[in-house]
Amino acid sequence: MASAASLDVGRLVQEAEALASAVRGALGPRGGQMLLTRPTGETLLTRDGRRVLEALNLGPPTARMMVACVSRHHSMTGDGAKTFIILLSKLLRGLQAILDKREGSPFCEDIQRRESYQKHCHSLKQISQSLMTFQTHILDHIMAQDLRKHFLSAFSSWEGEISRDTMESILEAYFCGRIGNSHQKLLSQLSCDFYYKCISFKNGRNEMLNLVNEYFVELHSAVTGLPVSNSRILEGFVLHRDFAVYCPADGDIRMLIVTESIDSALSASGLEFVVNAEVQYQASQVWITKRTEAIMKHLQNNNIKVLLSSVKQQEIVTYYAKISGISIVECLSSEEISLLCKTTGISPFIPTRDNICSEITETMIAKFCQPLVLGSKRYVHLGLTKTCAFQPHCVIFCGPVHGVTEQHASAFHGAFKMLQQLFKAVDLSDGCEAQPETPVNGQQLKTSMAETEKQFIDFSSLVGENPSCNQTDLQKSADLAMPIVELESDFMFSALIDRGSSVRELQKPPVKCQHPSETWIKNKSEPVVTNHRICNDAMTAIENTSTSVVSKQLNSYKHTVQSYTNVVIQAGSVLPVGGNFEILLHYYLHSYAKQCQQPKITLISTVIADALLSIPKILYSTTKENSFTQVYFKATSALQINQQLPMHQQGLESVYCKYQLVASVLHCVAKLLTIDLIIGIRRLPQKTEVNDSEEDL
Amino acid sequence: MGGYVRTTSQSSALLGGLSITHPVLKVLTASVQNHISRFSDCGLFTAILCCSLVENFQRINFAACTVTKISRHLLSLCTDYLKSEACGCRISVDFDSIKTLLSLVHSVLASKPACMLNKTEANHLSTLVLKAFLLTIPHTVETNVVLGKCVIVPVKDKRVMDSTVFPGLLIEIPESQLARTFPVIRVSSSTIKMALFCISLSGDLSNIGEGTVIVHHGISLEVAVLDQLLNLGKQLINDQVGLVVCQKVIHPSLKQYLEEHRVITIDRVGVSMMEPLSQLTGSQPIAALHSVSPTCYGSLKDLRTESFVSKNFLHLIPNDTLVCSLILCNRNEMAWDELKLACQTAEHVLQLTIKQPLALLGGGCTETHLASYIRHKSFTLPASVLKAIDCSRTQYQLVADAFSRSLECVACCLEHDDGEILTDMVYGHFWSVQSGFPSDCNWSDLVLKCGCGICSNQQNLNWTVLQSQCIPFTP
Repeated sequence: MASAASLDVGRLVQEAEALASAVRGALGPRGGQMLLTRPTGETLLTRDGRRVLEALNLGPPTARMMVACVSRHHSMTGDGAKTFIILLSKLLRGLQAILDKREGSPFCEDIQRRESYQKHCHSLKQISQSLMTFQTHILDHIMAQDLRKHFLSAFSSWEGEISRDTMESILEAYFCGRIGNSHQKLLSQLSCDFYYKCISFKNGRNEMLNLVNEYFVELHSAVTGLPVSNSRILEGFVLHRDFAVYCPADGDIRMLIVTESIDSALSASGLEFVVNAEVQYQASQVWITKRTEAIMKHLQNNNIKVLLSSVKQQEIVTYYAKISGISIVECLSSEEISLLCKTTGISPFIPTRDNICSEITETMIAKFCQPLVLGSKRYVHLGLTKTCAFQPHCVIFCGPVHGVTEQHASAFHGAFKMLQQLFKAVDLSDGCEAQPETPVNGQQLKTSMAETEKQFIDFSSLVGENPSCNQTDLQKSADLAMPIVELESDFMFSALIDRGSSVRELQKPPVKCQHPSETWIKNKSEPVVTNHRICNDAMTAIENTSTSVVSKQLNSYKHTVQSYTNVVIQAGSVLPVGGNFEILLHYYLHSYAKQCQQPKITLISTVIADALLSIPKILYSTTKENSFTQVYFKATSALQINQQLPMHQQGLESVYCKYQLVASVLHCVAKLLTIDLIIGIRRLPQKTEVNDSEEDL
Repeated sequence: MGGYVRTTSQSSALLGGLSITHPVLKVLTASVQNHISRFSDCGLFTAILCCSLVENFQRINFAACTVTKISRHLLSLCTDYLKSEACGCRISVDFDSIKTLLSLVHSVLASKPACMLNKTEANHLSTLVLKAFLLTIPHTVETNVVLGKCVIVPVKDKRVMDSTVFPGLLIEIPESQLARTFPVIRVSSSTIKMALFCISLSGDLSNIGEGTVIVHHGISLEVAVLDQLLNLGKQLINDQVGLVVCQKVIHPSLKQYLEEHRVITIDRVGVSMMEPLSQLTGSQPIAALHSVSPTCYGSLKDLRTESFVSKNFLHLIPNDTLVCSLILCNRNEMAWDELKLACQTAEHVLQLTIKQPLALLGGGCTETHLASYIRHKSFTLPASVLKAIDCSRTQYQLVADAFSRSLECVACCLEHDDGEILTDMVYGHFWSVQSGFPSDCNWSDLVLKCGCGICSNQQNLNWTVLQSQCIPFTP
């Protein structure tokens, strides 16, 4: 019934490298396109790594897991699928090298088990845990401490306005990676125009981006057979339906949304209609007609010009609409209806006995509502006057084949996802915080919480080692009138973990502080009353996680609260493109590894740092004047004398996306390495075939 | 064994019929088919140009991104030139004179050899298509011009020369009905009232709803509905309606009732005829069985019967011609299909010409002219442009040459009789000569007229063989 196999790191490496080689050719501005053909005969041109990987239809469960991780990352940030898989393969290769060495490796030394298999498993799990701790603690601090000084801000002023030039260079760099240089300029202009046209005031930026991302299907249309240069932005909405009835109207057009048929049927569901006489039947038919006519007249009297319906209306309704001069658009999708409701803030009209005579209030007003011919299809073009933070606009993608318009549409959508990420900030506490919009972190929290007991030794020593960690005593901070109660509960949670760590710190040999500016104030006093209150707050905040572990810590360990350090990544942080982020992170990870006294972390940092370099290696592999070795040498020598990196290309990219990428890759590797057993179940193929839960430990 | 055989020269039929497995070719044919769906014509031109571009670019073997960058620039050169007033290969279409329009239609029809039209037939059909098109243009110009419709009526087993155009609509009716219905009720001598129904008048029960309907014994809903239908008939007669047209079925009793009162009934006209019918008569499709509003009625100028071969038609003659019927005749089914496609293409080309009243020279002259323009431009390109594209002048010239060659390759495909193709060094037009000419003869003795017919051998134009190495000139 079921076949079981243990995890083989070599296999993992092979799978990841096979996947990476599938997308490697399309990486970077000089990368090529891929042509996917479907069994139905459709073809799709793409440079989208996620598209390619998902199309592969993989067999091995671990490879599918990798692709699932890529997809999740891509759907969140709209970018980085190719980089993800390449980084993943390099990282796995590096880890395999560690495992192969065995002797002298810090992951194998303190284990005295008889069976080599168990030993192997144990060292895998150790690596996995170290990766997680690296991601949650060290990565953030390196970002905050070292990389942050290299970040540029996309905002031209502190009010959070973003200049058009910056926007263009961010978008251009994005499209360069997504669709290549043939239509990159056109699309980046298009998306830039779209951004500025849709935003009505700058505080509505996030709301606008959310709406655009959620309803992108409704906000774009594709036309095949026309040149790509015909792609354009239209003001207002394009409803993907034709008028059932069209009566031209001028001026302010009042419109109504209906979600059910206006014409009533002879009998409703659950009711019986008894016919006693032929005359009665005729009379009821006449009554129904009269009622429909009355409703339409009522709408006409209320100056309603357009009826937007989510259902198909009866012919009788369109007939009376035509007579009353009311246009009807029917069979609108529920998404279109909800988009219209969201942007205008109205709710659908339901004709009942009561409101048939009263005034209709739930209307929206349009500047125009006219037919629009796109290609061979007729649509409805709608221009609303009163809207929310989102100024309705839509994009028309033109291209010779469906595959091209689809590629452009998905790249455009990705660009807005990327912009959404660009305006996000990362706090130091983010690593342990259960954020609803970052599923990676959320899940990772659970993982680390469930393993806290096991990992605790590592945790404590790690944070202790961290030179950038700025810890102060709770008592001290209370004395300094620090508004502890005002601290957010999630922030306190991160503090709880740190508390545990500093206790261990005391039992260890004193750590040399690398930065004199950082102060360690330690206090061996017992927990004060206020601590309990905070702890209780924290407990309620993390109810869903294993609270027992936390409470144990609370009772037995000395408490320190990490003072409010600055955010790791400010909203709108950008870096020049061309592997700058990777080179920077590589450089600082290496220098961190040199100072680090934890052998495991040193090893992990080195592996990650080396894996990061694979990206610029591929990017610079084709150009003659800028070979990788030259670029790398220039960059490191500039860093050694504390200069900014030399820029090779125009264009900027979001730091948050890159940071998320590294975090996601680390998480993916950690997840893969915790697999004990792969059980293939034939009966239930839809269930997950991968057994990666922590209970197996 | 057996099966459908089709002779065609239409790209849409050709590409649709091929089964292609190579993915790149799939993309190519899909793009050409999408192009045809937008512009109707020039599918084969597009396909040949695409293929020879791929071929020629592969031959020079540069990095793909360099070729794309340069060819994008070449494309912008071409479109800018074609859009500019100085363009030497376009003429503006004058809607006041019939000559250019007629030659436009003629060149579309003549470019489809599978239609098997001789010269007089081609001329006759061109006139008909143009006439039909002109009938669909509204007389009064408003802000939103909506063109009328030309309905093609098939008549097979007749000569092409028998094809005609009628203003108004032709609806086929059975012969038995013809004798019964005339004369019809008229409001006045030149007005016939008409009612157009879009719902079924068959007496079926409609819109019962999701619940249950309980009918007592002895009560027939069908009788009730028929009663309603006959009441409707009474109203129509009272309103002096002379013609009733229904998209769906009319109940035989109602039909008979109306015909007894000299009202012509036509049912099952189908949804495709509804729009031209309502456009033609100004009537609104009625969807109610009671209290029909008199504003929905339309009017006709006259009603006549026409018969072709074995078919009988009711000819609806409107007051204002916006809709016309083109009776298209051809010997057999297959040739008729081909001819219909060609006529539709010609009609669409005319419609597109209204949007942009410009035409390009035919007969290969546009291609050769454009090719020589691109060659010339590639030699005089400023260095700043080369820097922006990030390529060397030699690279640019090589790609431009491949581009020009591809254009000339399309022109060469026009020569089917194994002849030689010349081009002149003044206008860059296309000249076709018979092969096997003596090497020492004078070119001007061989050539007669260029492809488009604008230039003749009277001018001394300095001819040379196409695609031979020659110095670039300014066309």
